[in-house]
Formats: sequence, C-alpha cells, structure tokens
Amino acid sequence: METHEEELLTGEEIEILQEIMNIAFGKSAADLADVIDTHVVLNIPFINVMQVTDLPAYIRDHVKDYRNISIVEQHFWGCFKGDALLVFSSGSGKELIRILQHGDHANMESDPVEILERETLMEVGNILIGACVGKVAELLRDVVTYTPPLIVLERHYQDAIADNHFTPDKTAIVLKTDFSFTEGNVTGLLFLITSNDSIKWLKEALRIFIAQYE
Amino acid sequence: MIKKILIVDDSPIARKMLKSCLPKDQGFEFHEACNGKEGLEKYKDLCPDLTFMDLTMPVMTGYEALDEIIKHDKDALIIVVTADVQLKAIKMVLDSGAYMVLRKPLKKEDLQVALLKAEDTLQKVER
Repeated sequence: METHEEELLTGEEIEILQEIMNIAFGKSAADLADVIDTHVVLNIPFINVMQVTDLPAYIRDHVKDYRNISIVEQHFWGCFKGDALLVFSSGSGKELIRILQHGDHANMESDPVEILERETLMEVGNILIGACVGKVAELLRDVVTYTPPLIVLERHYQDAIADNHFTPDKTAIVLKTDFSFTEGNVTGLLFLITSNDSIKWLKEALRIFIAQYE
Repeated sequence: MIKKILIVDDSPIARKMLKSCLPKDQGFEFHEACNGKEGLEKYKDLCPDLTFMDLTMPVMTGYEALDEIIKHDKDALIIVVTADVQLKAIKMVLDSGAYMVLRKPLKKEDLQVALLKAEDTLQKVER
C-alpha cells in the first residue's frame, strides 16, 4: 500500500493528531458510558495517510476477523470534513440492546429485533461519532455539521464496503481506534477519514493547537 | 520538595504538552518513559518524587504500571493524566492508589493546583 505521509503530514503533525484523537475518543467513550452502564476499553489510536482507492481494502483488512459487521456512517463537514465509519463486530447490535435494557428481553420479543438493532446502533453511533468528531473539531477550533447516520446491518465484511464507497480523491488521512466494552461482547473500530482538501487547514490548525504548549 | 518528576506516556507530544504546563523556575529534573513497563523500571531506579502516568499505552498499560508501582512503593505519588475520563476508569485508578486524576488536554491551572497539593502531601510524608 503506497502512503504519502512525508508529503502531507510531518511525523510531529501525525503525533499531534494521534494525541487529539486519543483525547476525542476518550470523550466519546465517557459520553457513551454516561448513557449505558459499561466501561469502554480504549486502545491506542493510529493515523494513516493513504490513497483513497486503497481505503476500502484497508478497512476490510482491519475488520476481517469480525466476518459479519454492522456499520454506522456519518459525513461531517466544517473546515475539518470527511466521513466517520463506526464498524461493529457481528452481534454487537443485539448485545447493545441487551446492555441498554439491562438484560431485559421483553422489548426484544415485542418489537422486531432488526428495527431495535438499527435504532440502537444509530443511537450509540451518534454518541460515539458526534462526541469524537466534535471534540477533534473543538480542539482544532472548528465547528462541524453532520448528516444523519446511515446504517449497514450485519453484512459480510467483504460486501459491506464497496470499492467505490468513497469519493475518489488523491489521498485520505485515516484516524483509526479500536475499542471493546467490558460488559457484553461488543467490539469495534472507529475510522475518521478526511480528504486532502482539509489538509492545508489541518496543518495550520495543528500548528495553532501545539503552539499553546510551546 | 518535588524535584524529580517521571512522565510516563507513549505520546511524545503528550509528554511535551505536560512539561510545558509545569512551572519553569522550579528546577525540576524530568525523566520520561514511553510505556508502563519502562515507567515501572524507571520508577524503581529513580524513586521520583512525583509521577505522571497515562493509561492507554502499549506494552504495559498505565493501570498495570500503577498497580505495580504501588505494590513496590505504597507512598508513591502518581497523578494519572488521561483522555479516558469515564467514571469507572477514574474510580478504578483512584482505588488502585493513584493520588489524583487529571484529564487531557491538560490545563496549566489544573496542573499547578495538583502540583501544590502534591507538594503539601510530600512535605507531610517527609515530616
């Protein structure tokens, strides 16, 4: 896979972005933990710069162990703009319903599970994506707007993201973090994908951010 | 008096941010570690007066390093500096013996208040 890190972002800029993503995902995990009684185990975020055409294969490669996946996707735009993809492992939707209902299966029996699952993933996705993207934007002194979330429910990982899923562009900056819940078998990955038309702004915003600590 | 400070964080940027928030005129002696394991080893070698510890790190997490350091030295002054601001995470580290938890991104004022408290605690222990 060809990358262009040197041309786009310096090593220091990538480290700053990684720390910002760490802070932002910490915030979104705390927001989610306020709503559902669980602890989200966070892992170290990674930043990758790549050709957009390589992106679907990159995402598929990271979620292949899940086999079936569910996806919550939202577009966001401000100076910082792109796509947020929250990918859950198979069965996470049903597990989240169970956690939210504190193990009570009453509603699961009366309502169609697929509708409940869709709504639950949408709600959880909204919290995680909104808090994370919002915090990145806030730290970089930007404000973003979101499209309503789109849901892909329980599809084989190879079919869930088409090769032409993303708008062709030269490059993409991918911010990836994986997580799991201590209660229930819920694991997933969050990808924030911002295209190269944000890069000029992003470099300046990162410079301003770190200047506070010089 | 706090003189020797150990900063344990995998992110060089986070370590830089933390150092920049500390007063420049106190003559602190800084030591750094980039994961919990290295942090534990440096703690045992250096016996710092104060340790700043991140939680999400490779090799050995901050949770594990905190436990190990407290096992080694129950009076260790460890301030956890983390992006993980979930109540359960905060409770867990305080129960494990962390002195205090500060959230990222750090604010100079918060860090300075923490430093004064730590200084006070250290003086009481020394007395």
